[in-house]
Amino acid sequence: MPGWLEVVVRGVLFLFVLFLTTKLLGKKQLSELSFFEYVSGITIGSIAAEVMMGLENNIWHGIIGVAIFAVLPFFVEILSLHSKTVRDVVEGKGTVLIKDGKILEDNLKKEKYTTDELLQLLRGKDVFQADEVEYAILEADGKLSVMLKKDNRPITRKDLDLPSINEKEPHTIIMDGEIFDEKLASAGKNRAWLKTELAKQNVTIENVFLGQVDSSGQLTIDVFDDKIEVPKPQDKPLLLANMKKCQADLELFALATESEKAKRLYASNAKKLQESMDVLSPHLKG
Amino acid sequence: MTVGADLKQCLATIKSIEAGLSALAINTNAADEQKLFHEQMLTMEEIKHDLMQRIGEVEREEEQYKGF
Repeated sequence: MPGWLEVVVRGVLFLFVLFLTTKLLGKKQLSELSFFEYVSGITIGSIAAEVMMGLENNIWHGIIGVAIFAVLPFFVEILSLHSKTVRDVVEGKGTVLIKDGKILEDNLKKEKYTTDELLQLLRGKDVFQADEVEYAILEADGKLSVMLKKDNRPITRKDLDLPSINEKEPHTIIMDGEIFDEKLASAGKNRAWLKTELAKQNVTIENVFLGQVDSSGQLTIDVFDDKIEVPKPQDKPLLLANMKKCQADLELFALATESEKAKRLYASNAKKLQESMDVLSPHLKG
Repeated sequence: MTVGADLKQCLATIKSIEAGLSALAINTNAADEQKLFHEQMLTMEEIKHDLMQRIGEVEREEEQYKGF
């Protein structure tokens, strides 16, 4: 066999072997979270490259080498699933670098991180002033996890005492002009509904590059032709505006009428509408 | 516009809100949202009934407001 052909054969063979190895080890291998995954990732790659290009090496030795670095971490992983002690030794533990807003210099030294490196990691988390951090931990994979002080955290609905809204994930039902019936069904819709919605927005299915349904059943689309302006769904804001108008009308009627009974009727209904608006507006905005 | 026409326009808007809420309740996937829209739809119905009653009274008192 000529040299070039052998390289081709070995290349294809090792690609296949590496593919199987990664499948066996799963997604965890790709994330390289722990020492074992990091080391086996590098070594498997090196062995494959070495054997593929160095034709004097035995191909089977290469495959055995790869298999060792696939199978051993696999068993270690199973072991560490069952025992916390094994896990701590094999996968390592995180090191606390900032606690109660104070940098722990000893731990920094232990991990051999300089101040500059710590600041760099913090900047990666969009923190430019160490003072903003309440707690930071250097994870086993070398990434820094940061908990900001409460004052520096983004504001949430809870902070504002807004009523909680339970939003479900959106479903992607159209990709490249193709309808995905399975996704459509999990969104609780059907093709007839989709046809109506597309007709409402005045586009044909062939024209749609991406179509998604949010949890309230609104369809948002992106069309191939970027010159076409797709109208944004207006049902909800329109409904809220109508409610506001009606509420104002009722208050106006209450002021205008001379009959006491009618005044009370208008006023009570205006109040009802106001209450209804208050509970609905978080759901109707945006 | 006359009072009668104003009232009827308001009634029409309430009806449209009710229908809008009903559509939202049908379309949404979240159960609690569905319930909320449905409840508010019932509130709209109460308001609608009150308004219709008032329109009836107004029409009886002022003949010229009759119609539609």
